[in-house]
Amino acid sequence: MIKKVAAKPLSWIERIFFIDFIRGLRITLKNAFRKTITTHYPYEKLTPPKRFRGYFAHKVVDGTEPQPAFQEWVNRYNIQVEYGKSRCVVCLRCKRACPVPQLFEIEGKKLPNGKRVVSVFNMNMLLCTYCGFCVDACPVDCLYQTDIHETAGYSRKDAILTLEILEQIGRDWQLRREREPDRIWIDDEQRQRLWAENDVKLPKVQEGV
Amino acid sequence: MHSFWIDLLVAIIKILVILGIALGIGAFLTWVERKVAAHIQRRPGPMVVGWHGLLQPLADGIKLLTKEDLFPRYGDKFLYHLAIILALVPATLVFSVIPFGPEFEVFGYKVKPILSDVNVGILLAFALGSMAVYAVALAGWASNSKYPLIASMRKAGVIVSYEVVIIFAVMGPIILAGTLSTYEIVQKQIEQGLWYIWVQPIAFVVYMFAALAEMGRVPFDVQEAEAELVTGFTVEYGGMKFGLFPLVEWYIEGLTLSAIAVVLFFGGWSPINIPFVGFVDPLFFLGGLSPFVWFILKTILLFLFILWLHWTLPRYRIDQITQTAWKIMLPLTLINLVLTAVLAPIIWR
Repeated sequence: MIKKVAAKPLSWIERIFFIDFIRGLRITLKNAFRKTITTHYPYEKLTPPKRFRGYFAHKVVDGTEPQPAFQEWVNRYNIQVEYGKSRCVVCLRCKRACPVPQLFEIEGKKLPNGKRVVSVFNMNMLLCTYCGFCVDACPVDCLYQTDIHETAGYSRKDAILTLEILEQIGRDWQLRREREPDRIWIDDEQRQRLWAENDVKLPKVQEGV
Repeated sequence: MHSFWIDLLVAIIKILVILGIALGIGAFLTWVERKVAAHIQRRPGPMVVGWHGLLQPLADGIKLLTKEDLFPRYGDKFLYHLAIILALVPATLVFSVIPFGPEFEVFGYKVKPILSDVNVGILLAFALGSMAVYAVALAGWASNSKYPLIASMRKAGVIVSYEVVIIFAVMGPIILAGTLSTYEIVQKQIEQGLWYIWVQPIAFVVYMFAALAEMGRVPFDVQEAEAELVTGFTVEYGGMKFGLFPLVEWYIEGLTLSAIAVVLFFGGWSPINIPFVGFVDPLFFLGGLSPFVWFILKTILLFLFILWLHWTLPRYRIDQITQTAWKIMLPLTLINLVLTAVLAPIIWR
């Protein structure tokens, strides 16, 4: 059964003296003299959470690869592993998982010693929906989404992520935030300043857990 | 012949001062409005250009002037441009009957700080105010587009209803003062020691509602109605032509209607009033400047009140607006007129 709830009609006193107007005016006046809660964007920037789905990166080989998965894939495809280079094993699972597969352009090449390595890895970010399926599909924790979100460019070419750019972003990410504990917002103190009235008390997270 | 040239010189100075005030303050009020709106919504508003965004109107003006000038296909070019003139000129002309302060002497020559103290000042002000409907209707018609047309028809409906109401509302103070001249009305209030708001609260409330409707402010901004009509009758205007309409409708008309409300209900340039007793002036230390400061202060406060209303209330529907005008406001003003007629002999003494 649907319960019908009508708005309470205004009493005559309320109508004559504009009581509901005055209530609304009081609220807006109260808010007008409170502190503003916005961040002054180009001059102040909030750090996105670690799980933020921003620009893509290729994490590089630095000894923190997920084992034994990484070694298994390397053995299976006979990949040349080089310290400081992309972890990609050219399995094309990212391309398969992608809802717009044509945005990936992935090629591997065979080295003279018979081992293989990724040679081309282009992503056309104009087609990307930032859904993160490719990141979930990556078996070696190579493809990753970082917190970089200011991605405007002057031409369409600027929106193409090549292997070099991906590796560069990946190195930068691993340097900056790889070791950070995974929590929703890293600058809770900043947020508490902005939303003081919410007074969220979050437990302290130890580094490196 | 000598006095004629002095009169001319004084008139030209007055015109320049008033135009400067009207257009300069009008542009500056865009900044005020944005700041008020922002702080009500807990944002800081414009902050980049100048100190706290103080030069923002200038930046906006430059941006508007350098924009592409578009004209709708099959529009009526003559009426399209006439609408801009019809919007700007009458609204600015209303300033000519607003008294900014009492008579003062410069080099032994008496100057009234009012451009033309005509004896039908109030009538002139509202006659010019109702010219705004032509501007809106022409802008809507000449644009050859559906949103402007709907908006202009709505605005015409609103103005036609509220023109009647506003005239009946101001009749109360006019009866009490016994004159139509704005300068005289203020003089009478000072002589009688009474702001007319104390005896005409109904008229004041009705006046404020009608003023909001005239200048297209919330809750009567059906002609703007951003969600339904984009921006109403200014859709097909671009650049500075677009900028002029809100400037005129929201700021210049807002200022003039606030100033007329101050003249009619708050005793113009007189300081704080205790009914039937006299005036208390906390700004006495300013000497001869105090009346001008009082007038400007009251006008600004009233204008800020309108802004405050604008950013608080939701919008009425067009039928609700016209219904309120004809069914509630008009009878109320008639009742107010009867009450005023009873009260008037006591005030006149």
